[in-house]
Amino acid sequence: MKRTPSNLKALFDPRTVAVLGVSRDPSKIGHLVFRYMLDSEAKLFPVNPSASDILGHRCYPSLGSIPEDVDMAVLALPASATPQAVRECVNKGVKAIVCLASGFGETGSEGKRLEEEIKKILASAPPGRRPRFLGPNTLGVYVPRRRIETIFTSRERNPRPGPGGIAFISQSGATAVCIMEAAAAVGVGFSAFVGIGNKLDVDENELIDYFAADPETSTIIMYLESFKDGRAFLESCRRIVPQKPVIVLKAGRSESGAKAAALHTGSLAGSDRVVDGALAQARVFRAYDEEELVDLARALDHGRPFTGGRVAILTTAGGMGVIAADLLESQDKGVGLKLAPLSEEGKAKLRSILLPFASANNPVDVTANASNDHYAAALEVLESEPDLDAILCIMQFQSPFVDEHLMGIVTDWFHRGEKSIVVTSIGGELSQHALKTLTESGVPAYPSIWRGVRAISALHKRGVWASTNSKR
Amino acid sequence: MKAKDLLLSHMPLAEHQVKELIQSYGVPVPQRLVLEGDESLPRRLPFPYPVVVKVSDPQILHKSEVGGVRLGIKNRAQLERTVSSMREDFPGKAVLIEVQEPPGVEAIVGLIYDSAFGSSIMLGMGGILTELYQDVTFRVTPIDESDAYEMISLLRGSRLFEGFRNFKANKSALASLLLAVSRLGEELGERIAQMDLNPVIVYEDRCVAVDAKLLLRERSAAL
Repeated sequence: MKRTPSNLKALFDPRTVAVLGVSRDPSKIGHLVFRYMLDSEAKLFPVNPSASDILGHRCYPSLGSIPEDVDMAVLALPASATPQAVRECVNKGVKAIVCLASGFGETGSEGKRLEEEIKKILASAPPGRRPRFLGPNTLGVYVPRRRIETIFTSRERNPRPGPGGIAFISQSGATAVCIMEAAAAVGVGFSAFVGIGNKLDVDENELIDYFAADPETSTIIMYLESFKDGRAFLESCRRIVPQKPVIVLKAGRSESGAKAAALHTGSLAGSDRVVDGALAQARVFRAYDEEELVDLARALDHGRPFTGGRVAILTTAGGMGVIAADLLESQDKGVGLKLAPLSEEGKAKLRSILLPFASANNPVDVTANASNDHYAAALEVLESEPDLDAILCIMQFQSPFVDEHLMGIVTDWFHRGEKSIVVTSIGGELSQHALKTLTESGVPAYPSIWRGVRAISALHKRGVWASTNSKR
Repeated sequence: MKAKDLLLSHMPLAEHQVKELIQSYGVPVPQRLVLEGDESLPRRLPFPYPVVVKVSDPQILHKSEVGGVRLGIKNRAQLERTVSSMREDFPGKAVLIEVQEPPGVEAIVGLIYDSAFGSSIMLGMGGILTELYQDVTFRVTPIDESDAYEMISLLRGSRLFEGFRNFKANKSALASLLLAVSRLGEELGERIAQMDLNPVIVYEDRCVAVDAKLLLRERSAAL
């Protein structure tokens, strides 16, 4: 049952790529994919029997006429032409096929028949030479570091993210590409994206194992509408989660809730509460919308998990400290953590360095007149507090004495300090620029207090989970 | 036929058979006596009054709704009257006589076969009020001891297990019950569409599954 994920390498790091169905028409998928792939270091072979060249590259009339081994074949062809193309891939000994077309199982019985035909063709390949098949009905793959890309929406309209540590496995390609675009705009990078489409061959379970072993991936996020094999998924997650956090946005929550309600257990389960329990049991984070998915990923990818649950708030605006305190402590409308009382020594130190009207209690309010130095000094005091695990840094740029150096100060403590740090900043251009700079240096930073508090809570949960990992 | 064999032959189970089954996995149930056919009452009950009399039949899932549960029977004369009236109302059905357990904290423990994750176990608070409170949590079977304690701690009602108004429900007894149900789910979960132990009454020193219902998965779905 345990498959070696190594033969998926051709999907993410191919040396040679053939694009079937290339087109000279710039609006066609077969044109875009080829053009985007030109940025990669892979050697490209455009295939089109009726064109002699494309963008200055010689076209090959068929896959078989390519004089080299082909690692990856991208099928930019209609569904009906796919079985024949797969047959050629099998004959050529292609390692991985990316099938971009829709019009398969998702549309009805004729599409299902096509999928069955493709499965048979794949199975007819000699053992050890069977191509892996991604899709159909997928946007394929995107590997920012190597510019391997089969996403065929316009790059100009939908800018892609840069490299980072997050791998994104998605059952919906278009959704994931939008989520990545939004994440890219605030400075979040990705190690890879893969759309699983109809999961004809490659599915989420195999991919999660692949990314578990991928040194460029440190966090795995998923958008799923169904589980191909829930038990196998949980087992993979249990193995992976101690090393790399996994966050799942599982949609379609109300789907089978109405079914099977003869007993209480059935009517209480819906289908979603079981998913909830199963994911928690495997220590997988569950996100409920696209924002939370990426927010948690950013926190867990670089942030420091902690177990104690004792948090301090450092703020330049009193009211924001109070809002944050409520959200941190409330069981109902918050995350149920504790504001740590500061030591007498710490408070005395704060009083000696801060402005006279600042608060030396937690939340520590350095006030809107504070300077970079005040903020830095207060942060240093908090970093040496003995009974403190995490610091929520609320950073506003109202004071004339604070500027972008504040980001460097916080980033420095984030990397060399011992407390878990999360930053929030609310506002316009200045704040957004600060948040992006922080995010790009790995500091979890958010444009709302609640999102920062939620990130702190996720780091606490990961810390607690790590300390209570069962023996399984 | 033994309860487990009934299940393995895809035969529906009456309450007393579900109890025999869960008891064999270590779930505490009330002391019971089953009268099948026209079996007469023994001279002495093997347990004290008050007792409960129930109709116990695979076809009658929701007994109280059809008048198949009589509570608070305090003596022999009352018991004899109740048994014969039960037989008039439900001719040919088995009659289950059980110790009437005192009130305590009511929980619900269930099994369900989930289409994605297979056999899964539920714990909830509230007994018959569970659907009102929606205070439940699920795990995939098998669970281990730390899962069982975590399930209890995740309920809003978990304070009852930490001490609340001079009462402290027995956490370890409930955790053992969960582990017993998990073992059942692990071994036979593919046969079981849903099972309710409802209520499970939790006391300071023990817990007991007072009612038990089980629905089979369809033969085609189960292996």
